[in-house]
Formats: sequence, structure tokens, C-alpha cells
Amino acid sequence: MNPPPAPIGLVESLDSARDVHDRGFTFLGGAADGTDLVYSFAGLRQEAIKRAHHLRALGLTKGDRVAMVIPDGQEFIPTFLGALWAGLVPVPLYPPLALGKLDAFMEALTGILIASTPRVLVVGAKVKPLLWSVVGKVATLESIVDSSELGKPAPGADERPCPLEPGDLAFLQYTSGSTSAPKGVMVTHGSLAANCDTIAKLAVRTNASDVGVSWLPLYHDMGLIGHVLTPIIARVTSVFIPTLSFIKNATLWLETIHKYKGTLSFAPNFAYALVTKRARADQLARWDLSRMRIFGCGAEPINPGTMRAFADKFAQCGLKPEAITPCYGMAEATLAMSFVGLDQPLKTDAIDEASYHGEQTARPAAQGKAQLDVVSCGKVLPFHELSIQDDTGRRLAERVVGEICFKGPSVAAGYWQNPEATRAAGMGPEGNGWLRTGDLGYLAEGEIYISGRLKDILIVNGRNYYPQRIEWAVEEVAGVRKGSAVVFSRPGKSSEEVVVCAETRDPDREALRAAIVAKVNEDLQLAVADVRLVPPGVLPKTSSGKLQRRKTREQYLADKLGKEGVRTMGDMGQRLLVAKHLAFSLMGRARHSARGIVRRFLS
Amino acid sequence: MADVNILELFQKAALEVDNRKLSGLTKETVISSLGMDSVAVMELVSYFEEKLSVRIPDEELGRVRTLGDLRDCVARHLPPGTQVTA
Repeated sequence: MNPPPAPIGLVESLDSARDVHDRGFTFLGGAADGTDLVYSFAGLRQEAIKRAHHLRALGLTKGDRVAMVIPDGQEFIPTFLGALWAGLVPVPLYPPLALGKLDAFMEALTGILIASTPRVLVVGAKVKPLLWSVVGKVATLESIVDSSELGKPAPGADERPCPLEPGDLAFLQYTSGSTSAPKGVMVTHGSLAANCDTIAKLAVRTNASDVGVSWLPLYHDMGLIGHVLTPIIARVTSVFIPTLSFIKNATLWLETIHKYKGTLSFAPNFAYALVTKRARADQLARWDLSRMRIFGCGAEPINPGTMRAFADKFAQCGLKPEAITPCYGMAEATLAMSFVGLDQPLKTDAIDEASYHGEQTARPAAQGKAQLDVVSCGKVLPFHELSIQDDTGRRLAERVVGEICFKGPSVAAGYWQNPEATRAAGMGPEGNGWLRTGDLGYLAEGEIYISGRLKDILIVNGRNYYPQRIEWAVEEVAGVRKGSAVVFSRPGKSSEEVVVCAETRDPDREALRAAIVAKVNEDLQLAVADVRLVPPGVLPKTSSGKLQRRKTREQYLADKLGKEGVRTMGDMGQRLLVAKHLAFSLMGRARHSARGIVRRFLS
Repeated sequence: MADVNILELFQKAALEVDNRKLSGLTKETVISSLGMDSVAVMELVSYFEEKLSVRIPDEELGRVRTLGDLRDCVARHLPPGTQVTA
């Protein structure tokens, strides 16, 4: 394919919105009196210029990081754009709005601030009193600024944006829940323009009558790039619902689409499950969802059952089945990698379960044989490539399962001040251009199917968590053997669910279970769906004594945990694994039956 | 509205919103120890707001750990004359 035409940069695009008064962003309840606040794109440009002026006045110069904890969209978006206008590097961070989680939030926030070395932290007025205590803990931080201060008039502000090159850093995207070593994806102005431009023109194919509706958090890639930055470049009128308002009342999402004649909306799988459960008969009778061109689904594994239930329930509101649009992306690819075609309804591939687990191939299932349903996430974005590779980087054939790799102008520059992680993911100047996603999948007739993950990251309600971090929390609970906690996910009804396995000698299993659930919830804001406590020596370990997370998960899902013999300690014993256990692993039978359980659970 | 017992209302809310039967709640009960996910917890907050006609400011949520904290938080925002107990 020919190289893509040079896309227009975000700041350049915003600058050219000087006369765009008929389209823009609406913030539900965003005005001081609680009514909706509307910015045309021209107005948004003015607001960004004003904020850029105030940020420059703080002495900030090109490339300086500006951390942002701003819950309200009407404050967040102009501040973010103002920072880009001034050539600064915003670091968007999530606000402390979860019930009872202030301590855990402060710890995570401090970790990211120390790693991203910002000079200034811009905060929403309401959360400012909560955040003062971080100042002393972050050496680079010079001041905390109330975002409304940046919105004050700035007569005579310099209207020119900072000159930017495609290789210049646009912002840092922190995506994971790890506090000890947070990884900030370096999105450049070039990767951002490439991704937004391709999404708008060639995937979503935006038009003048489109209306985007989003409740997604703005510190998250799908909410920020998909629903804010791409619409700016494509001039798509958009309506923003405060995230917390959606969480408290999920039906507000579809109510807003109905009221504002929405055509585009993206959300993770769990949101579709939640709104399907919560919509009432009187709402179904009233809502018109017939204008919706795209209900995009991404950011966490897609459960075909959830999406079918959603399509069925809202068919009476005029929802077209082809509006359901699975897509695949991640922050390391700036945002999107693949999209399902706009006229294509939800498509699943029924593959033979035995050959998937036995030979790592995805053969179409024969009639009457056990099968797995895998959702198609469509074709790769134009001007980009997807391939399936083994761990040596060799490309695998169609319908062979391996690591999904992605190449093209949307790939981010790497992780902030973390060359090791950058190298491991195939990014940066030393990489060969192929981003290693850590996801497992296969290609069939040019479409990508995601079937699992190499990385052990858990994705719960659209957020990523490192299992190590949860395991450390579990091991702090009295009664849990040190170094014996294993955490992984299992498929749940609407999102993945967290499972904890640990070894203990404590006879009071019930009390220990409750203590573990409480600890994980306190520290990480996570609900634990199941705690499996076993006697010492049961959880599978490698010959070097490392716990085997994936094998533990397989045994758990196959209901074989603790039933395959006890691991004997000592050098010799570790090599002499119980024969039955070994036989099961070799034949892949444990995995086979694990999938059976998963399938029944999902169906 | 007359008197409101937060523990009873919480029990009712958990059943209606999350289909979860809770017992033995006290004002010292830590909400996060009940094992509900963060989305369900926020739906419970919404249930409280609706039933009691109060609006709990977003920025106060971070400090609500126990049912006693919830009682205090709700009490601060209820119209005068309504008693909140736990």
C-alpha cells in the first residue's frame, strides 16, 4: 500500500476551526447553573488559546509535563487542548471519585506523578482540597493550579500555537493499575494524527450529520482519543455525559443518544451489559435509537452474548444490528488497530475447541463437535498491518494462534523513561516496527480474532490491573503463606472477574476469605469474585520455584485445583511433579475442559 | 421524610440493585469489604440519592469508607428535620 497522505495534526486542525460555529461539544449539566454548556469548535479554540496563555505564564515551556486531575469534561478538554497548543505534554489522570478509596487513589496518583515528572498539576476546583498532600511527595512538582484559574480572560493572548513536529511528544497515557512501576505510553503528535485521521476518514467515515455521545472517562484512551480528539479533527458534534452520572444511572447513556439524535458511541463490554439490565419498559417504548450508525465495543474482551442481548433488547427502539461494531485497540497503538465493517453485523467464528487447545490452530468447527465462539474485530486500519507472530518474531499462517503484532504510523513512541519496557514491546528506535500487543489471536480472511492474552493483565470494567500488585496485597493478609498468592481473571457476566488463589495453614477459611476480599477491595478498588484457599504445596510452580499463574488458572477453570496431587518441596521433588498433573498438562486436557466451563458460562 | 435507618436502607438497596442479601451490618461495616464491584457501589449511592432526595457531592465519596461514614455524609445533605440513624 502507498504511504498514507500526511494527516493534519490536532493542533493545526483546532487552529483551522476559527470559523466553525455550527458544530462543537455539549457538556451535560456543565454550566454553573446546572444547564448544558455548549462550545462550538471555534469557541473551543478560543478557550484553548486562553488556557495555553495562562500555562505559558506559569513559566512552562515546550515538552514540560502538566499532570491533570480534572473530573469535569468542560474543564478537562479545554485545559488539555490548551496544553497541546502551548507545546506542553499533558498527563491525564483519573479523579478520586470512587467510594471510600481516597487512600488507594493518593498512592496510585503519587506513583504516576513521581514517574512522569510534571512541573505543574492542574486540578478541578472540587478535588483540589483532597490533593494538596501530594505536593511534598513529588520532587518535580512546583505548583497545583485550579483549572478554573486557567479559564479566566487572557486579553492579548498570543494566538499562535507552538510549532510542532510529528515526532514531538503529545501526551503521556498511563493505562495500568500498577503503582510501583507505572508505564506511560508516549503518544506523539504524529501517531495521534495518523490514528485520529484514519479512524475518522476510513473506519468511522464521519459525516456532517454525525453526533457522538460519550460517558467515557477522559483520562482513558477510548474516551479521550476516540470521543474527543478524533471528533475535533473530523468536526463531529459531540455530547459528553459525566462518567459518574452514567455509572450511577446507566440508562442516561441511551436517554442522551435519544435526546440528542446520537449516531456514534463507543463503550466497553460491561456498559452494554449494564444498560441492557437497567433499561425499563417505558424507556424502551419511548427511545429512538435508529440513527445510531456505530455502537463501538472495545477496551475489554467482547462477550458475544452480551452484544447479542443488547442488539435484541433495543431492536424495538429501531437499533440496527449492524450498528454493533466491535473494534480492537490499545494505548500503545495510540488507540485503534482494527474495526468491523460498518455494514457488518456482529460476526463470530465457531472454531474447533480441541484443535485450538491442542495445536493452537483455529479450524472451523465441524457439526456436533465442541466449539468456541470468537468475535471478529474486523480488518486492520488502512495504512497499517496486523500479523500473528510466534515468540521469535516469525509470522504465522492464517488461522494459527500466536501473538498479535501491529505496525504502522499509529504506533506510539514507547514508554516514558522506560527503555526496557519499550524494547520488550517492540517499540522505539531499536524495534523493528512491530508492536507486540501481548494479546493472543489469529487472522482469518483478513479479519482479526482475539482469543486470549499472553500478558497476565486483568481487565475489569475496562481498566487494566497487574496481577502482581493484587498478589502483593493478598500476601499482606495474616494467614496467607508468603509468596503463595496467585491472581487471575475468569470470564464474568459483563466483564472479567478477579479470582484469588492462595496457600494457607489457617483453619478458619471463612474469616481469611473475608479478609482477602476486604484487603483487595481497599487497596485496589477491586471486587474479588472468588477466593480459593488450598493447603501449602498445591499451587503449581516452575522448577525454579516461581508460581505458575497460567497453569493455576487452567486448573481452577477445569475445577482441578488441588486435585492433581501436592507439589512436593525440595529440588528433587520439584522435578518429580506428580505424574497425573504432568499428563494433564501435556495433553492439554485441563485447558480443554476449562474452555468447556467458560463456554457454558457464557452461553 | 421522617427517620431514616441507613443500615436498613443499605440492605434494601443491595438487594434491589445488586441482588445481594446482606446481614449483620453495623455502622462500622466497611463498604468495600462487602465484595461488591465499584459500579454496583455507585449504583447504591444513586439509590440513596433517589430515595432520600439528596445529592452527595462527588468529591465527598472518597472519604466514605464505612456505613457510619455514609450516614454522616447523607445527614450533612438532608433537609433539616430528618433524622438519620444507623
